[in-house]
Amino acid sequence: MVLLGSAAALALVPSALAVPADRQPATPAIAADLASDAATGRALYLAHCQTCHGPDGQGTATAPTLVGVGAASADFELRTGRMPFAGPTGSQPVRKPPAFDDVSIQALVAYVASLGPGPAIPSPVLDPAQISNGQRLFVENCAPCHGVTANGGAVGGGALAPPLDKATAVQVAEAMIIGPGQMPVFSGIVDTDRNAIVSYVEYLRGAPNPGGFSIGGIGPVPEGYAAWILGLGLLVIIIVVIGRDWKGAPE
Amino acid sequence: MLTWIDDRLGTASWARTGLRKIFPDHWSFLLGEVALFCLVVLVATGVYLTLFYVPDGTEVTYAGPWAPLQGQQVSAAFNSVLRLSFEVRAGLVMRQIHHWAALIFVAAIAIHVMRVFFTGAFRKPRELNWLVGIGLLTMALAMGITGYSLPDDLISGTGLRIIYSVVISIPFVGPYLGFLLFGGEFPTKEIISRLFVFHVMLLPALLIGGVLTHLAILWIQKHTQYRISGATEHNVVGKSFWPSQVFKSTGLAILTAAVLALMGGLVQINPVWSYGPFDATTVSAPAQPDWYVGWLEGSLRLFPPVEITIFGVTIPSPFIPGVLIPGLLFTVLALWPFLEARVTGDRMEHNLLDRPYEHPMRTSLGVAGLLIFIVYTIGGGNDVISLVLGVPVETMTNILRVAIFAVPILGFVISYRICVELRDRGGGVMHRGPGIRLRRNAQGGFEEVDGEP
Amino acid sequence: MTASRGITLSLLLSVAASIGLVVIYLVNGGPQVEAIFLALALGGFGTAIIIWAVALLDAPTESEARHSLASSAEARAAADEALAPQQISRRRFLIRLLAGAGAALAAALVLPAFSLGPTPGQDLFRTAWRKGRRVVDGDGHPVRPGDLPLNSVRTVFPEGFVGRPDSQTLLIKVRPADLKLPDGRNAWAPEGALAYSKVCTHAGCPVGLYRAKQHQLLCPCHQSTFDVLDGATVVFGPAARPLPQLPMEVDADGYLVALGDFPQPIGPGFWDMTQAQPSEKV
Repeated sequence: MVLLGSAAALALVPSALAVPADRQPATPAIAADLASDAATGRALYLAHCQTCHGPDGQGTATAPTLVGVGAASADFELRTGRMPFAGPTGSQPVRKPPAFDDVSIQALVAYVASLGPGPAIPSPVLDPAQISNGQRLFVENCAPCHGVTANGGAVGGGALAPPLDKATAVQVAEAMIIGPGQMPVFSGIVDTDRNAIVSYVEYLRGAPNPGGFSIGGIGPVPEGYAAWILGLGLLVIIIVVIGRDWKGAPE
Repeated sequence: MLTWIDDRLGTASWARTGLRKIFPDHWSFLLGEVALFCLVVLVATGVYLTLFYVPDGTEVTYAGPWAPLQGQQVSAAFNSVLRLSFEVRAGLVMRQIHHWAALIFVAAIAIHVMRVFFTGAFRKPRELNWLVGIGLLTMALAMGITGYSLPDDLISGTGLRIIYSVVISIPFVGPYLGFLLFGGEFPTKEIISRLFVFHVMLLPALLIGGVLTHLAILWIQKHTQYRISGATEHNVVGKSFWPSQVFKSTGLAILTAAVLALMGGLVQINPVWSYGPFDATTVSAPAQPDWYVGWLEGSLRLFPPVEITIFGVTIPSPFIPGVLIPGLLFTVLALWPFLEARVTGDRMEHNLLDRPYEHPMRTSLGVAGLLIFIVYTIGGGNDVISLVLGVPVETMTNILRVAIFAVPILGFVISYRICVELRDRGGGVMHRGPGIRLRRNAQGGFEEVDGEP
Repeated sequence: MTASRGITLSLLLSVAASIGLVVIYLVNGGPQVEAIFLALALGGFGTAIIIWAVALLDAPTESEARHSLASSAEARAAADEALAPQQISRRRFLIRLLAGAGAALAAALVLPAFSLGPTPGQDLFRTAWRKGRRVVDGDGHPVRPGDLPLNSVRTVFPEGFVGRPDSQTLLIKVRPADLKLPDGRNAWAPEGALAYSKVCTHAGCPVGLYRAKQHQLLCPCHQSTFDVLDGATVVFGPAARPLPQLPMEVDADGYLVALGDFPQPIGPGFWDMTQAQPSEKV
C-alpha cells in the first residue's frame, strides 16, 4: 500500500514540474503542449546531451548538473550554439551556429526547465530613451570584462569575455541572470536597469563611428600600429622619393 | 623691399653665405624634418583646440547630441571635448589630426634617434645636440601624456591613477610629491587644469626653445654626411640651402600635413565619447596608454611581485619598474656619447658617418637597447595580443618575462656576428654621389674637381 | 610628362580641392570629406613644390669647406681675460658667500610651490569606512547577505559616501564552506558575503574583473590576480600585497554593516606605509 501511494505521489511530481514556475498556462491546451515539449526534449536530450550531462541531467565529471539551471540557461546555451560543446576538454565554450532548430531548442528548454526550478527566459524591453542610463550601468558592470565598446576582452585564466555584437537582447538578459562560464551572476540587477543595459548593448551593435574607420574599436594599441604602418610608412616613402637622385648622371 | 630690411638689419651679408650653405642630400636626413613638421601641425591644430577646450574638472551635465551620454555628469573638460567633436564644424577632424600628429611625431623622433645612433652622428662635436635631442624626446613624451589626459575620459584617467601611484611610491618624498602635483589624494579636480598649463604653456615653451637650439647647433656645426665620393672630414658635399633644400623641406612639410590630414578624417582615434567620462570606481578593459607609453606599461606589468625591504624600509612595488628602470634607460641613452668616448678613447671630431657594421659593439648594444623597449612595448599590450591571438594572458606575461632578458641578449649576439662578418668583408664607397663635383675655393668661386679625392 | 606639366596639374588639383573645402565647410560635410579634400589640397601643393625642387631647379652637388669650430688660442685668451677681471676673480671669500646666498634665496623662492597641495597626513591610511556604517550599493540601498545571488559581484560603498573612490569595495557572494580565509576572518564574511577593497594594491586601478567560477579577481591594468576565497592573496601579476578585506557583520535589521575600516591601508604601496596609525581598527 505504501509503495503504491509513493509511486502515485512520484508520478504526480514530474507533471507538476513540467510547467515552469513562471509560465502560467492560459489554457490546458498549452499545458499539454509544454508537457509534450518536455517529452520531446527528453528524447533529444538522451540522444545528444546525456554523454556529458548524465542520463537525468545530474551532471558527470565532464559537465555540470542541469538541475535548477532553468529555462534561461538552456535557452542561452543552445541558441548561442555554445551547447553542444565542441571544443577541447576544459576550454571555454564559444558561440557558433546553433546545432538545433527552433522547435528542438524549445523542446530541450522545456525538458531542462522540468528538471528543477530555475530562472525563466526573460523578456527584456528595448527603450531608446534608456541608453544613457544603460551606458552608465554598462561601464560600471560590464565594461571591465567586455570592453567599453563591447568588443570583448581577455580576462585571464584562459577565459575570454566575448564581443557582444552577435548577442540578441534576450541572450544578453539571459547571460546577466545565469552568469555563464566565468561571468558573475548579475541577477540581482532590477528589471529596469537590466532593460537599460540591454538597450545600450543593442545600440552598440549599430553605433556610428563619426571619426572614420574604427580599427577594431579596442583602443590605443591598433592606433599605434596605424600610426607606424600607415602614417610613418607613407612619410618614409615620401622622403625616399624626395631624397632620390632624379637627375642622374650629368648632361 | 629686401633693401628696406637690409637697411635696418643688415640681412644681405647673412644671406650671402647662409643661402649658399651646403646640406648633404640623403633621405635618412629628412627624418628629423618629418618630426619637425609634425610639431608644426601639432602647434597649429593645438592652438585651435585650445580655443575650444575648457580645462576644468568641475562636473556639468552633458546636454549635447551624443545620446548615450545625455544627462550624465561629466567634467567640463570632457564636455568641451565632446562639444568640439560633435557641435563644432571641422572640430572632430582638427582633434583627430592633432592626435595622429602626436603619435607620428614620437614615431618620427624614434626613427630619427635610431638613425643618429647607428651612424655615430652623436660623436664630438655633436654630444651637446644629442643631449638636447634626448631632452626633446622626453618632452615629447610628456606632451603626449599630458595631452591625451586632458579630455578626462575613462581610459586616460586610469592612466593618471597609475602615474599617481608611481609618484607616491618614490621613497621619502612620494606621498608629498603626489599630493603636491595632484592637489590632494587622487582623484582631484585640480589635475586637469594643471595638466593644461603644462601641455599648453610650460612644455611647449621648453620644446620649441629646444628645437630652435637643436637647429641652431646643427646650422653652426654643419650636418654630418655619409662617405659618398668627394666627402671628407673637412668638407660638406651636398646641395645649397636655397633654393634646393628649402624647396624640398617646404614640400615635405606640406606633404606631412597632407598625410596627417588624411589620417585625421579617415581613421578614428581616441573616441572618448565611447569611453565615457572618467570614473574612479570603474575601469575598462583593455586598459592601454598611447603607443609611446606602452613600454612603461610593459615595465609595470612584467615586473615580479616583490616589495624589497632595505634597512627596515619597504620600497613599494611600482617604484623599480616605474621610476628606476625608465630612469636608468634614459640616463644611459642621454649619456651615450660620453660613455662611448670614454670606452673607445676617441676624442677626435667626426663629421663623416659610420656604416653601422663598422662599430659592432655600438650597433649591437643599440640593437639590444632597442629590443628592450620593443619587448616592453609588446608587454604593455599583452592583453590585446591575448584577445586577438587567443593565447592566455598569463602565458604571454611569462613568455615576455623571459624574453625581456633573452631577446636583447640574443639580439646583441646576432647583431655582433652580422656586423663583424660585414666589416671583415670590407666595403667601398657607401653611396655614389650624383652630378659634377664642384668645390668652393677660399675666394668664394667654384672649381671642378676631377677624379676621386 | 614634363616637370612643368606635372607641377601645373598638381597645383590645379590643389586649387580645386581648396575650393571644394569651402563648399564642404559651408555644408558641414563631416570629418571624412573634410580630410580627403584637405589632403588633396595640401598634397597637390606639396607635390608641385617637390617636382619643382627635383626636376626644375638647377641644383648641382657642391662642396663647402668645414672650418674648425674651436676658436684660435688668441681668441680664447682674450675671452678669458675679458671674462674674469681681477675685481671679481680675486675675491674668493665674497664669491663663496654670494653662491651660498644664492642657494638660500633659490630655496626660499621654491616655497610657494608647497601651496600646490595639502600634506598627506592620514589620508592614505584611512577610508570612509567606520564601525557601524552600512554597506550600500551604487544607488544607496543597503544589502542583506541573503539577497546576494551566489557568484555575484557588485561595487558597494559606506552609507553616505556613495562614489567615494578610496572607499570603493567589492561585495562578492560565495559558498561559506568554500572560504579559506586566514586568522579567523571567516567571521568577517557573514553568510558567504565577502568584501574586499576594489583599489588594486599594485598601481591603484579598480579591480573590475571577476572570474566567478574560479573565484579570482583580475585587475585589467597589469593583470594582478587575487584569490577571493583565500583573503584575496595574489596568485599572479605584479601586485605584492593582497586586497585588504573589509570586516562586516549583520545588524539588527539584517543588513550588512562594517565592523571598522580596512585593517591595512588600501591601494598601492607608498612611503612609510607600515608606520603605526591611530585610526580605529577591529
